[in-house]
Amino acid sequence: MRDEQSRSIRVSHAFLLLFCACALVAAAIGAVSGNSFYLRLATEALILAGLALSVDLLLGYTGALSLGQALYFGVGAYVSALVLLQTASFWLAMSAAGAASLLSAFIGGLIANRVRAVYFTLITLGLSQVIGKVVYNTRELGASDGIIGIPVIDIGIGGWSVSAADPTGFFLVVLVFIVILYGALAYLLETPFGRVLIALRSNEKRVPFLGYSVWRARMIAYVLAGVVAGLSGALYPMLRGFVSPELMSFSMSSNAVVAVLLGGAGTLVGALYGSVLLVVIKSIIGSWTEHHLIVIGALFIWSILFFPRGLMGMIIPYFLKRPSEEQSTVQVPSNVSLSGEAK
Amino acid sequence: MELSDYIQFVLMPQVINGLALGIAVTLVALGLTIIFGLLDVINMSHGEFYAIGAFGAISLGALGLNFWVMLALVPLLMAPMGVLAERVLIKRVFNSKDRHVATLLVTLGLSLILEDVLRLVYGPNTHRLDAPISGASEFFGVLVPNYRLLLILVGVGVICAVSFVTYRTRLGAMVRAAAYDRSMTSSLGIPVDWVYAGTFAVGVSLAGLAGVLLAPLYSVFPTMGRDFILLAFSVVIVGGMGSIVGAVIAGLALTQVQALASLVISPVWTDPIVFSAMVIFLMFRPQGLFGRLGHA
Amino acid sequence: MENIKYTIALAALMSALSTTQSSAQEPLKGGAGTPIKIGVVTPLSGTYAAVGQPVRWGLELAAEEINAAGGINKRPISLIFEDEEANPSVAVQKAERLFQVEKVDFLTGMVNSGSTLAVGQLAERNGKLASTTVSFADSITGEKCSPNMFRFNARAEQQSYALTSWLGKEKPTAKVFAIGPDYEMGRSSVAAFKAGAERNKIAVVGEVFAPLDSKDYSQYLGQVRAGRPDTIYTSVAGNDTVRLLTQLDEFGILRSASIVGSSGTITSQNIAAVGKAAEGFTTGTAYSPKIDTPENKKFVDAYRAKFKADPDLFAADSYSLVYAYKAAVEKAGSVETDKVRDALRGLSWSTPSGQRTVRAGDNQTLLPMYIVKIKNGQFDIAGSVKADDAIGPDACKRF
Repeated sequence: MRDEQSRSIRVSHAFLLLFCACALVAAAIGAVSGNSFYLRLATEALILAGLALSVDLLLGYTGALSLGQALYFGVGAYVSALVLLQTASFWLAMSAAGAASLLSAFIGGLIANRVRAVYFTLITLGLSQVIGKVVYNTRELGASDGIIGIPVIDIGIGGWSVSAADPTGFFLVVLVFIVILYGALAYLLETPFGRVLIALRSNEKRVPFLGYSVWRARMIAYVLAGVVAGLSGALYPMLRGFVSPELMSFSMSSNAVVAVLLGGAGTLVGALYGSVLLVVIKSIIGSWTEHHLIVIGALFIWSILFFPRGLMGMIIPYFLKRPSEEQSTVQVPSNVSLSGEAK
Repeated sequence: MELSDYIQFVLMPQVINGLALGIAVTLVALGLTIIFGLLDVINMSHGEFYAIGAFGAISLGALGLNFWVMLALVPLLMAPMGVLAERVLIKRVFNSKDRHVATLLVTLGLSLILEDVLRLVYGPNTHRLDAPISGASEFFGVLVPNYRLLLILVGVGVICAVSFVTYRTRLGAMVRAAAYDRSMTSSLGIPVDWVYAGTFAVGVSLAGLAGVLLAPLYSVFPTMGRDFILLAFSVVIVGGMGSIVGAVIAGLALTQVQALASLVISPVWTDPIVFSAMVIFLMFRPQGLFGRLGHA
Repeated sequence: MENIKYTIALAALMSALSTTQSSAQEPLKGGAGTPIKIGVVTPLSGTYAAVGQPVRWGLELAAEEINAAGGINKRPISLIFEDEEANPSVAVQKAERLFQVEKVDFLTGMVNSGSTLAVGQLAERNGKLASTTVSFADSITGEKCSPNMFRFNARAEQQSYALTSWLGKEKPTAKVFAIGPDYEMGRSSVAAFKAGAERNKIAVVGEVFAPLDSKDYSQYLGQVRAGRPDTIYTSVAGNDTVRLLTQLDEFGILRSASIVGSSGTITSQNIAAVGKAAEGFTTGTAYSPKIDTPENKKFVDAYRAKFKADPDLFAADSYSLVYAYKAAVEKAGSVETDKVRDALRGLSWSTPSGQRTVRAGDNQTLLPMYIVKIKNGQFDIAGSVKADDAIGPDACKRF
């Protein structure tokens, strides 16, 4: 299928390569200069990019805004932390986190997917608030203090072993992981099922007439997004050595949404660029003033009003225009339009 | 504990005090449901307007104004703020395909800004607003502070006034018509743009009014907007978005459920209960108890 | 086309900003050598900003005084502030930046115990020392202790020792009802109080835990009344205190019961808002502006002159931290982690509230506790407990 969707995904891949190239350069610089703080900050940005990918899958492709993805991120993080406290095994922690987030996203999906649009959003918000509060009050999970003392682990892949404390090494591991996530999602979106998801955003009412079950499609997308978030969350305790209930908080979820909007919803790679951009902006603003919320809030509003397609959402169409073809009257489907024309 | 003791010392106070809390929540939810019901806009910054009302009372109080004067003045002063917010922010994203999402996000950004501005202007400490009357009265052996009784009275008055205007006046009819069918109403010569802006202003003024009324009870501080927001949204959804009657009934019912449940189980679980009520309604009866105002 | 202009503007802005990366720094004053950097990761925004402010002020006052007198070993102190937003993830990120990019010699400022524990772990992994002057969870110098984390304030156990021993002497027949916020800190404070009460043979007739940020405590007052207490113990803080106490007053419970609480329950942040309901509130705490020593008078006057407010517990503890660090560095003759750690352990130094000592076994500061009673909005002294009497055994097994 060589339609606009495919072409824009291809452009997206190109930008992913650019992203990786920059990341590798950054890693090289970091390794040489011995400055581990920026590498670890970048690693954290990549982990958050995984969460943003999960938000983008739902928002950019099925058109559903989830304000509670941090719930699954937190589930993955806590499960990973608990496993690592017992056995310092990367693969066991990741599998357990994946399984736990699959299960919880399934249950969450059963609840949230009965409704649509803004009600869906409100339920996802409420779910993460309520479960977050439960975790906050549960002694066995460390309650409000969280869990510290997660050991530094060695990640064994094939014949190599990378220590989680090695800034460059772990950065590369997380980078590879995010690229794999991206690849899996991009592949999915190119399949017929992926097209059903995209159809959901364009015109949900028509989808059943084409013979597809809306509910099944949304459930699968939701569970998938939950697993993506959970696996990303599992990496957090490996990086920082602790987990706390704030990982499930609303600010975590909304940061991911801001990242997706900044980078461009519906472009997959936009989630990656957006996360990095957001981490950079926040650390710069944070050093300037303690009233950074005003700046972030203003940035948020500004980007929705004037910049709704996000960074990638504006750059990618440029690569799709070909002088020999007629100017397409159909808007590029891979971009969510937050301020289209009124009918 | 003996049954009569239980009823007198535990159950009845619970119900009566729950009533005061219920009226409080209903007032906050009222503005929210009007904005959602009539404008189809999710206002995530509603809690911050509630806080602005309370802080406004603090400032005016420092100027020496009487409580009753403030009660009338603060909402009036907040109306232009509402109009401004609607014109500058909401209107721009109103016509987009994903209106709900866009307005939710835009008002979310606004709430971040407003909260931090409040902290910038007033500092992070807690402020106090004295109640206009003090003391307590006894009702059938139950001690109820006088200000709470006053709150219930004023609250009921406000709710009745809002219902009256909405359902019994021409102005209210215009607003309902604009909510039901915008283009038709516009073609009848009604300035729909201003109706929308005005409605949003009324919604946030109601939030501000609730802020003034509740300030003596719950104290005033920059993050107070988050106090009620989840509960208010639950009330709006259970009651039916846009329905004033629904907001009242749901507001009173949910707070009673919360109050009574906390007698039996650990209070920490009452939030999940209220939330579950919201979820169940969303799952099985998304239009709430009384459906949408313009569309019921 | 318009949007492109916005993109370019944003890109230009970003690159301009990224070349001016700097954090809020104190200007260098006095001393001739390179500055000794103390990183401060404290909540400057959000709900806990009201605690971060006195912490900041206490540190700034101490640094200013020390620098005016020549600094530490002729090196001025430079304070570098970062906002932790009361979120452990943010605290760790900022702390790491301070350790590795700013290369601070020492770190302090964390308020909530989750942040303190996480940063303590980070400090260990970076071979640096960190401290807290606010967190009072017993675990920080107890079962979750770290050799690189020092606590310069009283922990929950010390507060309850002081309070319950005073209660045992003054009101041995008291019937206490405990109201606590339903989260880790709130519950463990109540548990510490109950343990102390048992030790001093005071009756606790009931307890109830309300969710954090409860608006309305009226629903719990039925249970409170049923217990017919004459004393109420509470470990709420901040806005919750204002609401609980004013509502207790509203419902007339304060006519027949007096209130005692943890030291963080009423502070400069909320005493004005609590108003007359605070009258008679008693707590066991490490500081009051009314402590009658010349050193404290000097401290209070200097603080008032600079910040136009009275110092509170957090300001005083933070102030004393800087002097402790100074004494340790001078004793060790260097800012190297291992040398300063050894110097800090067992260090004894004088503070506005009396002589304090760092216990070597668990890095916990032993200090004289005061029984403070609020009278006319002032923190009057009603008694005191010696440092050694107000602490339990060393529960730290790691070193």
